[in-house]
Amino acid sequence: MKAKAALVRATGSEERAEAEALFNSIGDGVITTDEFGKITRINPAALKILGYKESEILNRWFPQKIIAVDDNDQPINLIDRPITKAFLSGESVYEKMYYRKKNGGKVPVTVTVSPIILENRPVGAVEVFRDITIEYEIDRMKSEFISLASHQLRTPLSAIKTYAHMLIDGYMGDISPPQRKSLQTVVGAANRMNELISTLLNITRIESGNITITPKLVNLQKITEEIIKELDHSANAKGVKLQLKVSTKQLSIKTDSLIIKEVISNLVSNAIKYTPDQGSVTIRLSSRGQQHALICVEDTGFGIPKQAQEQIFTKFFRAQNVVRRETSGTGLGLYLVRGLTEQLGGKVWFESEEDKGSRFYLALPRQFSSQPKLTKHLQTKLNS
Amino acid sequence: MANILIVEDDVDLNAAYKIILENEKDYTVRSAFNGQEALEALKSFEPDLILLDLLMPIMGGLEFLQNYELQKKHPHVKVLIFTNMENSPEVNEAYKLGAHRCIIKSWTAPQNLARVITDALNEKTSEATV
Repeated sequence: MKAKAALVRATGSEERAEAEALFNSIGDGVITTDEFGKITRINPAALKILGYKESEILNRWFPQKIIAVDDNDQPINLIDRPITKAFLSGESVYEKMYYRKKNGGKVPVTVTVSPIILENRPVGAVEVFRDITIEYEIDRMKSEFISLASHQLRTPLSAIKTYAHMLIDGYMGDISPPQRKSLQTVVGAANRMNELISTLLNITRIESGNITITPKLVNLQKITEEIIKELDHSANAKGVKLQLKVSTKQLSIKTDSLIIKEVISNLVSNAIKYTPDQGSVTIRLSSRGQQHALICVEDTGFGIPKQAQEQIFTKFFRAQNVVRRETSGTGLGLYLVRGLTEQLGGKVWFESEEDKGSRFYLALPRQFSSQPKLTKHLQTKLNS
Repeated sequence: MANILIVEDDVDLNAAYKIILENEKDYTVRSAFNGQEALEALKSFEPDLILLDLLMPIMGGLEFLQNYELQKKHPHVKVLIFTNMENSPEVNEAYKLGAHRCIIKSWTAPQNLARVITDALNEKTSEATV
């Protein structure tokens, strides 16, 4: 009997030693807490990342000792911390953020916190976090490269377009109708190339959180008229009637003029592209309450099939009904529209019926306040 | 009648803008190919508007704006940033340094360029909307 008890004790302590060795050998940082958020265990990897000694961490309240900050170096509110969310939801929470190190520096980390459930009750939490400094640096270098490459690609493209336009406009003398038509093809191809570069550049910027918002007073009617002027040629080529209806005069909002132009332009050019010949595209400008301007782009196009509607803002997604008819799309336009709109603090949504047309709505705050954090859908994309 | 200084390092584009502006409107146009040359040109040329590229060798657009001390010495001169670097921190910085408006090269047809410049010259600085 005594021998059996001794064996059990020995096996128990062996198991504990093995579990301890396992915990201490995990390459990512691991911290466990009790049900009140008090730190109960921390492994060497976590101590190394944060620069603390074990005695400085144990038994301290997690949110107070492990300081999390955002991109702007501002502390993240307790309610927004993954550990709080995990306790409240009872589910694992994954996020990217920065942790403040003991020496005051900050380290980018990915964090997964899971509640520890025992007999249907949370008895604590376990957090696994990873230092992603190298990934951040690679991301930054990638963005810089794409930015520079885009600029270098665009300079010769600007020259091609400018000189083709000058020939069309008669700066170098009269040209024949077939010559004009050929030059218009050159301009059209340059525009498509430009669009692609612009889209790739903006997506890279949004996904890396590097987009810069410059709020200025923007007259929506003026900017929409400019867009119509620029897209009139492609609408005319298909016999699509492009019109603007304004129900609120002097609709000026404080936002980024270039980004909003890009967003509206994308929606309108999409509408033209996916509307059959002789159809119509109508842009309506109005107010939505006191705080928002509402832009609606309505077309009589192919529409979005019901089964495709949930995925329409997804990167590289193209609905089957348009893939059959229009082969030139990239599936990036609406993904970009949503990303840029969210950066402006706005919202985009749509109503659509196959073969009847679509209505895309864009609600934008009249006053842009500050750059929003990475939005949920982009965060999910980044994480994936 | 207005004086315009083009600051653009790409020789082809610089020449094109000069032709467009001289043909389209009654403008006197001077060309510089980087910020350093622009500062030099300003010693003998008083522009009403500067069409300024950002990414240039020797001295870029932002460095030019810092040296030019736009707001202090030449408050009446409008600077139009003409770049392909949309939505970038550089454009934001240019606004802080006194730029009036930013237009994207590869999206602006020649006739639009002339129109944007005319509009900018007619606008009072405080009315700078897009």
